Amino acid sequence: MATGISKSPVSFTLTPHKISICILVQVYAPPSQNSTPFPFSSVSQHNRLGIFILSLTKVSEGIFEPTLDELIAQLSEIGGLLNHWLNDHLTRRLSSLASPDDLFNFFTDLRGILGGSDANVMDDDQIMLDPNSNIGMFTRRCLLAFNQMPFEGICHLLTNIGTYCKDALSSYPPCGISNLDDPTDDPDASLEFENMEMENFVYEKVSDDDDEESSMGIGRIPFHGHGSKAFSELIEDGASSSRPRLEHMDTTALSSSDMPRGIGFNGTFLHTNWQVQGYLSEQANAIEKLGSSFPLNAFESTLRKLQKLAPDLHRVHFLRYLNSLYHDDYPGALENLHRYFDYSAGTEGLEYVPPPSGCSTLGRYESALLCLGMMHFHFGHPKQALEVLTEAVRVSQQYSDDTCLAYTLVAISNLYSEIGISKMSRIIGSSSWPVAGMGTSLSAQQQLFVLLQRSLKRAESYKLKRLVASIHLEIAKYDLTHVQRPLLSFGPKASLKLRTCPPNVHKEIWLSSHLINEFGDESSVMTTEGAFCTAWLKNLKNPTGSLIFTEENENRLNSNVFQFCAQPSSVPGSVLQLLGSSYLVRAASWEMYGSAPLARMNALVYATCFADSSSLSDAALAYSKLIQHLAVYKGYKEAFAALKIAEEKFLCVSKSRILIAKLQLLHECALHRGHLKLAQQLCDELGVLASPVTGVDLELKTEASLRHARTLLAANQYSQAAAVAHSLFCMCYKFNMQVQNATVLLLLAEIHKRSGNAVLGIPYALASLSFCQSFNLDLLKASATLTLAELWLSLGSNHAKKALALLHGSFPMLLGHGGLELRSRAFIMEAKCYLADPSFSVQDDPDMILEPLRQASEELQHLEYHELASEAFYLLAIVYDKLGQLDDREEAASSFKQHITAFENPQEVDNSLSNTL
Amino acid sequence: MASKETCRTELRYAVRHLSDRGLYSASKWAAEQLMGIEQDPSKHTPSHTRFQRGSSSIRRRFRTADSSASGTPSAGVSYVTTPSMIGVEDYDYDPIDNDFYLLGKSYFDCREYRRAAHVLRDQTGKKAVFLRCYALYLAGEKRKEEEMIELEGPLGKSDAVNKELGSLERELSTLRKNGTIDPFALYVYGLVLKEKGSENLARAILTESVNSYPWNWSAWSELQALCTTIESLNSLNLNNHYMKDFFLANAYHELRMHNESLSKYEYLQGTFTFSNYIQAQIAKAQYNLREFEQVEVIFEELLRNDPYRIEDMDMYSNVLYAKECFSALSYLAHRVFLTDKYRPESCCIVGNYYSLKGQHEKSVMYFRRALKLNKNYLTAWTLMGHEYVEMKNTSAAVDAYRRAVDINPCDYRAWYGLGQAYEMMGMPFYALHYFKKSVFLQPNDSRLWIAMAQCYETEQLHMLEEAIKCYKRAANCNDREAIALNQLAKLHLELGRSEEAALYYKRDLERMEAEEREGPNMVEALMFLARHCQTKKRFDEAEVYCTRLLDYTGPEKETAKSLLRGIRYERDVEHFPS
Repeated sequence: MATGISKSPVSFTLTPHKISICILVQVYAPPSQNSTPFPFSSVSQHNRLGIFILSLTKVSEGIFEPTLDELIAQLSEIGGLLNHWLNDHLTRRLSSLASPDDLFNFFTDLRGILGGSDANVMDDDQIMLDPNSNIGMFTRRCLLAFNQMPFEGICHLLTNIGTYCKDALSSYPPCGISNLDDPTDDPDASLEFENMEMENFVYEKVSDDDDEESSMGIGRIPFHGHGSKAFSELIEDGASSSRPRLEHMDTTALSSSDMPRGIGFNGTFLHTNWQVQGYLSEQANAIEKLGSSFPLNAFESTLRKLQKLAPDLHRVHFLRYLNSLYHDDYPGALENLHRYFDYSAGTEGLEYVPPPSGCSTLGRYESALLCLGMMHFHFGHPKQALEVLTEAVRVSQQYSDDTCLAYTLVAISNLYSEIGISKMSRIIGSSSWPVAGMGTSLSAQQQLFVLLQRSLKRAESYKLKRLVASIHLEIAKYDLTHVQRPLLSFGPKASLKLRTCPPNVHKEIWLSSHLINEFGDESSVMTTEGAFCTAWLKNLKNPTGSLIFTEENENRLNSNVFQFCAQPSSVPGSVLQLLGSSYLVRAASWEMYGSAPLARMNALVYATCFADSSSLSDAALAYSKLIQHLAVYKGYKEAFAALKIAEEKFLCVSKSRILIAKLQLLHECALHRGHLKLAQQLCDELGVLASPVTGVDLELKTEASLRHARTLLAANQYSQAAAVAHSLFCMCYKFNMQVQNATVLLLLAEIHKRSGNAVLGIPYALASLSFCQSFNLDLLKASATLTLAELWLSLGSNHAKKALALLHGSFPMLLGHGGLELRSRAFIMEAKCYLADPSFSVQDDPDMILEPLRQASEELQHLEYHELASEAFYLLAIVYDKLGQLDDREEAASSFKQHITAFENPQEVDNSLSNTL
Repeated sequence: MASKETCRTELRYAVRHLSDRGLYSASKWAAEQLMGIEQDPSKHTPSHTRFQRGSSSIRRRFRTADSSASGTPSAGVSYVTTPSMIGVEDYDYDPIDNDFYLLGKSYFDCREYRRAAHVLRDQTGKKAVFLRCYALYLAGEKRKEEEMIELEGPLGKSDAVNKELGSLERELSTLRKNGTIDPFALYVYGLVLKEKGSENLARAILTESVNSYPWNWSAWSELQALCTTIESLNSLNLNNHYMKDFFLANAYHELRMHNESLSKYEYLQGTFTFSNYIQAQIAKAQYNLREFEQVEVIFEELLRNDPYRIEDMDMYSNVLYAKECFSALSYLAHRVFLTDKYRPESCCIVGNYYSLKGQHEKSVMYFRRALKLNKNYLTAWTLMGHEYVEMKNTSAAVDAYRRAVDINPCDYRAWYGLGQAYEMMGMPFYALHYFKKSVFLQPNDSRLWIAMAQCYETEQLHMLEEAIKCYKRAANCNDREAIALNQLAKLHLELGRSEEAALYYKRDLERMEAEEREGPNMVEALMFLARHCQTKKRFDEAEVYCTRLLDYTGPEKETAKSLLRGIRYERDVEHFPS
């Protein structure tokens, strides 16, 4: 799209850095007869230089080529015994290039090392560079670029080489100069000297590392395997793998912005186009992964520089868009998005598939719409998002861009499933709506289902594997919360079964992860190769030849191995991310279905295996799930300990899941300890986190008002609690959140139970039960049954048998999967039933009552649930009294007293709680 | 304002100072203004008063007038203008120094800047120091331009920089600290700082420069370029001087405060009655206020006085284009092409001509040439975008408009063009973003509001309430094409609000009557109003509308007749209920 002043694209420019590489290539492949040419003492040394050169041509760690200093520093890492000779040679060769004629001669020599076109002719011994190898190609490109260069270009190159060398000399430590100037200097001594210096350097770094490891960016040397700092904790493990990368990013950003680059050309040469693109896509991944903790300004300044140097590289605008997007800068994101697509017409970046010939001149603005829609979605503007996405559907249909259409449909279904549906009716009704053809009789959710199915078919037929996998996940999420109904119900409705279908859910999840297994190395060769080279260059500190580091060698080697395994996997990051989210969905599904161990296991798998490749917010979600699990099953102490670790890890993420988890945890704890004011405050804080727009952040809003109702209930304000629960029910109904409604109904039953209106409570409990049944919410069903039993019992002792039967029916679920609170409630309930049952006598079988009560009191003490604990001890005391065990009775009574005072005077005990806020 | 005589004297000196220092465009500007001052009829014969160009005798007479005139400027700091100080500067130097200066200046005039700087390397006189710095700056600029071409990278132009800036900044800042800096060197210092991006300091330095020597128009222009907001403009601490009025008028224009700018220029015209510059500036302001007739008159006169003028002629060609004056435009194109074909303005005029002729490919070619001559030539980017839109090459149009917008984000035409292009591609919602930008920048332009309203109205969006809001804005700001009222009526009708619809039809009707326009809209309005009044039982009114409809031929006449019959019948029924 060259509407500007058109010019022939020169894709490869010669720079001093490239000349340096050429010099190294000459060293690597001199026209000599030996298998290991002159300066090298071993084959491995020779090969190491080869890999080094290869990496230099592919590395994608920044936008600028390294300065001579940096190159020499790297070179001395790999050179081992040779490094003095290599550095010397390099600088000497560079400074000998003083006139245009020197350059001509240099390139003529360079041509000599290239082998002929047919490689068979040459001798075995002779080293020839295969012209079709990577390095050979590079050399040929340099030669071509030189041959095409006008005289002005050669002049520029010469001045640039001059400044390149001069900068290096001026900033090189004085000893370096003396080394260069004094060829008689003993090479071994200087080597040792340099190594010693290196050791000092290392020592400093380590001490730095210990002092302020979080703030200092020392990413160049992976020191986290060093010494005793072995991370045994699982959570720490995740942290260790993500931290160095973060630090590294800081250093690159800093080094590129802080370098003294005044007006001259020192060091401001861009890498090749390919390398810069690789860098940008790596950064894009990093932004998406790290979210708001990505260094905004440093990267922005890098981008600005890049834009100045390469105004036709429009991808920069996209990166700027991403950067603003993840830092919640709406105007910036909007501006850059529009700018990017105005310039590139959607034909750069993304997963660009060239359209069939004929419509190629039109550009692909539909992807602009898709992005804009996603952006509005991200910022919580569902209405605009839907408008834009609808337009995207229309435009992609118009230009028959099927790929974009598929993506757009999925985006729409995402939008649908994330936000409330009730307000969408206007747009759904309009004629341009893609599903309108199905007839408007369908409910909004059914439309979503149709949409998903259609997009699945579409994605499958275009072989968009990633998309297919994510649609499967989406369908799984849909199935999780929706009752299956036949779409168009003709004929007899006998087969209609109003239940969700867990096997379907898991089938979809399996399909999604299975598809990912098929992933080879598709479409991401460029980035992985560049990333590999970057990683290799970063790990140069692992010397093979040097003996001085032996002491630390092993540790470092380990860490290197670890990094190597983590880095160049052939599965692209986005696929790993998808795979990871399938585990999250799995965890969510098990949590809903009520299998605590499985939910925990899946969250654990996610946190261990995918935390590295996932976005920070997803990882935070997994952690918060784990913390909640701890709270429910192990008590608050452990949960708070875990929370502390997680908070440190996700400190940088604003408005994160961790904060929500913390508030939930504190609220729960405050409720149990009877600190109602604090509880109310906490649940208000939770509510504030949600966006004020209706239909957005529904999950959080339900959570907040549910907690509000529970707080009111705990304060015995029954009518207010009921009012809150009712309005919540209405909201859930409006936005079709049936699963949440089961919880709300159960809460209503609870409210009526507590207010002494058991008769009114029973219908709510029953309704909740039937909801649970149709959605397969087994654990919730068990707890609804428990409530039902409690309600029956409160109707009178003649219902005790019935209640007991109900309770025993759901005992396996309650005891197997329930948390501490649920279990103890069940135990107390059982004891109460027995006590109320006139046909049961305590004396006959005291353990039938004592055992559950003891269990309950023990677990409740863990939980610090004073109210329930006092009840348990009270019952225990009564039973002991009946049995005549006076000592035990006194003990239970004193425990009872203890808990009841703690419950009634929460302030004294709970300073610690408010301190954690 | 200073008296005409003072202005004249001051400017006369200024021209000499400026050209002596190689500040040619400033000196040209000053000379133009000098000629723009109305001569005192008592001193000169009437034949000479109007256009004095070419009359050497008058010049000589002016010079004799100089030596006698000791009028110090009434406003501003009296710095160089006082003749005694001139004398100090001109004659106090050593003759050798002066020889160096002469050589340096000659080199400078031959555009051998580095040589000039070299010759002046050890000179300490203020004039010499200035010329050396300025020569160095220009040398750097020249090299920069060359390097821009040479260093074109694979991803577009690399940013070549003026390599002299660093050393110049260092030297000039020490000079300033020592207090041995004159306003001209301050101007160079300002230039350097501006180029280096330290805008605040540059603004301060340039203010200092113009306060001590106000006649350097180049310094004012640099200062103007640094005032991108009204706040920064108001924060400047400037001495009162008539040059400040020139500056403010120009700055207001750039800040799109056209009326303020216009009144300033009209005030200045009191003194500089015949200034071509002021006339052209007034034309610019009028053009932005869309007073094309006046602009045309002004330009005709300008061309009569100054037939080889190329500056600002691209705007004249825009006016001719808008008025579809084929022959005038072709004449203009021919003339400027013979004068200087390698001026961006010339290329732009030719491009406009071809565009008017419907030969869009050729037109694009000339716009491209204009852009090659000046990559940041805003008008050409926008106009090229228009051409691409005409050629239905929307993505190229988008690209061109976007470049215009990135050069100057206040160019509402380019934003509007972007919106239009996206609307053409069937992306009305996406286009809205751009229309919003353009109406934000130019809220008084009805065309923009109408375009936005039409966007809302499209079949895909169908957001009629929003469309109504936009049309209302359009109707409020002098909607020349008279689309808004009619559309408002139609939309209200569509939404079933017949009262509002009737109101707008009536207003539309009044307007058409006032402007004596006829057409389908008239018939439509009359027809609706007749029916509306009939249903509302306002028979007299309805009858009036029907009778007016009878003037038209065609089906309307028949409808009107039947309506009239119906009205009479209903009236009868009303009067004599059966």
